[in-house]
Amino acid sequence: MTALVITINGRVHGPTEVRDDLTMNDFLREYLGMTGTKFGCGAAQCLSCAIIVDEPDGTSSTSPTCIVPAVSFNGKTIRTVEGHAKGDELSVLQKAFIHHFAFQCGYCTPGFLNEGQVLLERLARTPVARADVESTIAEALDGHLCRCTGYVKYHEAVRSVILAEPQRYLL
Amino acid sequence: MRASRREFMTWVTASGISLSLSRLAAAQEPSFAARETLPGRNHWNPASGGLGRIDGSPKVTGAKLYASDFRAADMPGWPQTTSHALLVRAPDASRVYLGLDLARLDGPLKPTVVVTADDVTKANLTVPDFYAGDLFCPVGKTPLYLGQPLAMLIFDSFDAFDRARLAFRDGTLVQFGDETGPVEGENYGAFRFTRVAGPTPQSPDVYSPILAGWVSPGRMQHSPLPVWEPYARETSKPYGKAARYGEAIRAELTGTDPDLLVLDRRFETQSVDPMFLETESGLGWYDGRSRKLELVLGIQSPYEGAEAIATLLSKAKAAFKPKHIEADFAYMGGGFGGRDHTPFILYVTLAAIFFPGRPVRLAHDRFQQFQGGIKRHAFKMHTRIGISRKTGKITAFAADHVLDGGGLQNFSTNVATVAAAAAIGIYDIPKVDVTTVALHSRGVTAGSMRGYGTVQTMTALETLIDEAAAALPLDPIAFRRRNALAPDGRTMMGNRYTVSVRTLELLDKLEAHPIWTARAAEKARPKRDGIVVGTGVACVTKDYGTGADCSMGRIEIDPQGRISIACDQPEMGNGMGTALASRVAIHIGGLADEVALGQLDAFGALALVTSGNSYTMDQATQDAVEKNSRWVPAISSATAASNGAHVGTHAAAEAARVIFRFGLWPAALALWNIPATDHRAEQWAEARWQEGRLVFADLPPLSLPDLAAKAHAARLVTGAMTHCFSRWAFASATFPIQDKRYRAEADALAVRHGAGPFERVARVAVAFPPTSNNRIGTTFGAQCGTVVRVEIDRTSGAIRIAKAYSVVECGRALVPEVVRGQAQGGFAMGVGYTLLETLPLYEGGPGNGQWNLGQYVVARGSDLPLHDLEIELLPPVSADEPPKGIAEVVMIPVVPAILNAIFDATGHRFYSLPVTPTMLKGALA
Repeated sequence: MTALVITINGRVHGPTEVRDDLTMNDFLREYLGMTGTKFGCGAAQCLSCAIIVDEPDGTSSTSPTCIVPAVSFNGKTIRTVEGHAKGDELSVLQKAFIHHFAFQCGYCTPGFLNEGQVLLERLARTPVARADVESTIAEALDGHLCRCTGYVKYHEAVRSVILAEPQRYLL
Repeated sequence: MRASRREFMTWVTASGISLSLSRLAAAQEPSFAARETLPGRNHWNPASGGLGRIDGSPKVTGAKLYASDFRAADMPGWPQTTSHALLVRAPDASRVYLGLDLARLDGPLKPTVVVTADDVTKANLTVPDFYAGDLFCPVGKTPLYLGQPLAMLIFDSFDAFDRARLAFRDGTLVQFGDETGPVEGENYGAFRFTRVAGPTPQSPDVYSPILAGWVSPGRMQHSPLPVWEPYARETSKPYGKAARYGEAIRAELTGTDPDLLVLDRRFETQSVDPMFLETESGLGWYDGRSRKLELVLGIQSPYEGAEAIATLLSKAKAAFKPKHIEADFAYMGGGFGGRDHTPFILYVTLAAIFFPGRPVRLAHDRFQQFQGGIKRHAFKMHTRIGISRKTGKITAFAADHVLDGGGLQNFSTNVATVAAAAAIGIYDIPKVDVTTVALHSRGVTAGSMRGYGTVQTMTALETLIDEAAAALPLDPIAFRRRNALAPDGRTMMGNRYTVSVRTLELLDKLEAHPIWTARAAEKARPKRDGIVVGTGVACVTKDYGTGADCSMGRIEIDPQGRISIACDQPEMGNGMGTALASRVAIHIGGLADEVALGQLDAFGALALVTSGNSYTMDQATQDAVEKNSRWVPAISSATAASNGAHVGTHAAAEAARVIFRFGLWPAALALWNIPATDHRAEQWAEARWQEGRLVFADLPPLSLPDLAAKAHAARLVTGAMTHCFSRWAFASATFPIQDKRYRAEADALAVRHGAGPFERVARVAVAFPPTSNNRIGTTFGAQCGTVVRVEIDRTSGAIRIAKAYSVVECGRALVPEVVRGQAQGGFAMGVGYTLLETLPLYEGGPGNGQWNLGQYVVARGSDLPLHDLEIELLPPVSADEPPKGIAEVVMIPVVPAILNAIFDATGHRFYSLPVTPTMLKGALA
């Protein structure tokens, strides 16, 4: 057992005694009731369970939660789908997902949202050429499975955000 | 085959159980109902102005929405702690089941409750007819099928459950004994569909299923396969007649006529998983003191599910028999048919009643979902087609289909018949003979899945058509055009479509598309080394509806003009709620800010009753029972069979029309000071909504809030609810309202005046579609065509879909972006089915509990032409053309189009799915 302390969406949780083999997905969903992070496969193949990990150096990345022990996030700062909006104000990417009809059943949406957000943050630090936008998005999102949409509108939504602020995201 | 229906209200009373099928809003917020009513009053509605779906905000913010999101603590009034159930399934179906080795689950891993077949027997539970078969395999028997439940273990704590779940993963806790071989079972159904057309298109048919009824062979071999021939030994008269015509057609297809091109081919398709992302889950709480059972479920068929649960418990011993069942139905994380009539909900119920007083959650993980979830049927098809070499016209067609239905019947019989009825696709063929049989096997149960057998049969057909065109030789599209069914032509069942048939328009679009026109140039154009290029086309039609579909819709407008909608159909991602809001807005000028789906108890004012089976009822019975103005052929349908837009929104649209006609329109007349005696008072059909205002003649436009306020003040109609029923045509009825006789495409109506209660309006005349319509295969069809370009690497066999175009005719698209999204998703699922997805049927297949997405590969973004996938929706044939159902048809042509493109690239035809890089590499070697 480990006393887990973790910062989620800006709020410190813990210390909470958890089994060392408890997955992060179960910690979020069963211990905290934060079911916005989904369970899809339990094998890190669909990434509907992905969350954002914020590193001390200001960078961010996504991580699956379904096969990763909760204790491996001890002391870390993470973001989940519940943390993107500020009050009732949705993030730019959340709005883009809605306006592009990016999702249908929506079960994979938290994972795509987190991955898309991390991509935007990466591009803000390291912009890419306009010619590389589509391939950059495709590479970033390709780990995520969606069974409803055919992915097209997810890509269109992320691209629309990037192209709307070329000075921020593009070389 | 549907579970037989019964006099609903009477039955509920007789069983001693009352049903409440969705929760009324509780005082404590957020209640389940509040969470699931979207977007919710005073919340931003993205659907306004077409800027998104009504469920947009909850889905991007992680709100609790799906059945898998809810725990006891989320349910007001429930105990706070959730217990967890583990369903243990059989990884072996050829040896005797000896029991579980629970001794290894000691200490904190010990289950609190273990439920077995013995417990089900002792509790005197009743398995509903549709799910016939042991709920749990009894000790000492060989499991009926791979993945059959063996026992359910319930744990107090999540940690105990979680650790036990992992302990069971390797299958060694399940004990088996002697080898017995698989359990044999009779086939689930066998049919023969034969049609011989008259000498001209205008002539009556010589023989058809419509004329003679559907026939089944009366004899079986020693194996479960039927005896299709020789018909001379057949004693069943209806079958013998079909067989004689059928065998005559087959005699023409022996290849002895030099003027007839005959192709004789076999095609096999594989088992696949719907792979909706949210695995099946549910939450139940049986309060033993009040004997109330509460459930949270996520299924496509809420009404049927509630009925099945009530049947399960109807004769239970007192300790297991609730007095009242309250079922809540949540949004679903995908469905694709796999959540329609799923037995999973029965196990959620068992979990609750065998652990009274404690809320229990039952949820599949992905391994369990593969092991126990409904699958698509694997098909074996043998097809013969004859084409006149002189005219290029198809003269005769014969096919034999064998489906693997897996362990339980489920929808196997229906899938077999729908698939057979689709065997000739978009074509007009005067002589057709198709046999089909759905077999029991030890495989995981197969049932409903997007395409419902037709993606299998039309893939075999459309690749055969391509092969025939090449052999004649004729241009593939010209050949299709030459043989396309005319809009007034007869299907292979002998009936005509009652909706638009626009195959020729689709073929024109496909023929003119640059992917098609440039096919030869692209094939010849130098590519990087080792890449071969091909282009393929296919065009199909798919029915929508089941022949007995219904929906209920309830609309209310408050004095401020705010609109609330309730509908019985649930949301599985298909945009049901947004489509409802859009269709209602056509009639009453505003977009709802509250849409509640999966609602079944919002329609009590209709006081509906039903009896009999709407699929098999005879006319005399219907004529007699319809005299009861409360009677309808069926109460509520699953959201399935692509019926969402067409049927699911229909009742709400009819309710909206009533509100307009008897609420908003008279309010407008009052505001315009037009007396009832003025001739303009009857011109309500000429009024139209423009930017939220009602416009009529040269009178000042009126806003919806002003109209609503007036309607409330004058106690006009401000709310309406209707029930509709379709048996390949909508029932219609006449209702007395405000001293008028109002005819609606609905069979039940209740209205609300001002802020008053809903009151039933008894119909004074009704016209239900004739029961002879049950012989129809379909009269509702939507067409879709696809052209695909592929590039294949000779060295690796890797295939890339470079470009694709699909054109679909969908009637009036209620939400065009949702339709496009469905088409894009259908394309991806079609790619997966063609190139990636496959499940072994038996040992080594998903029934062993070892399958997950590492082995089962579905299409990712990199498998698709994300920036070169064009979707075109044909505009409706008229402004008032109803919406069609397209969720399935958009997937189907993708599969044969890819196969035809592969042939174009490689010169090799594949007759089984999926086509893998290894197979392609071999073909190109």
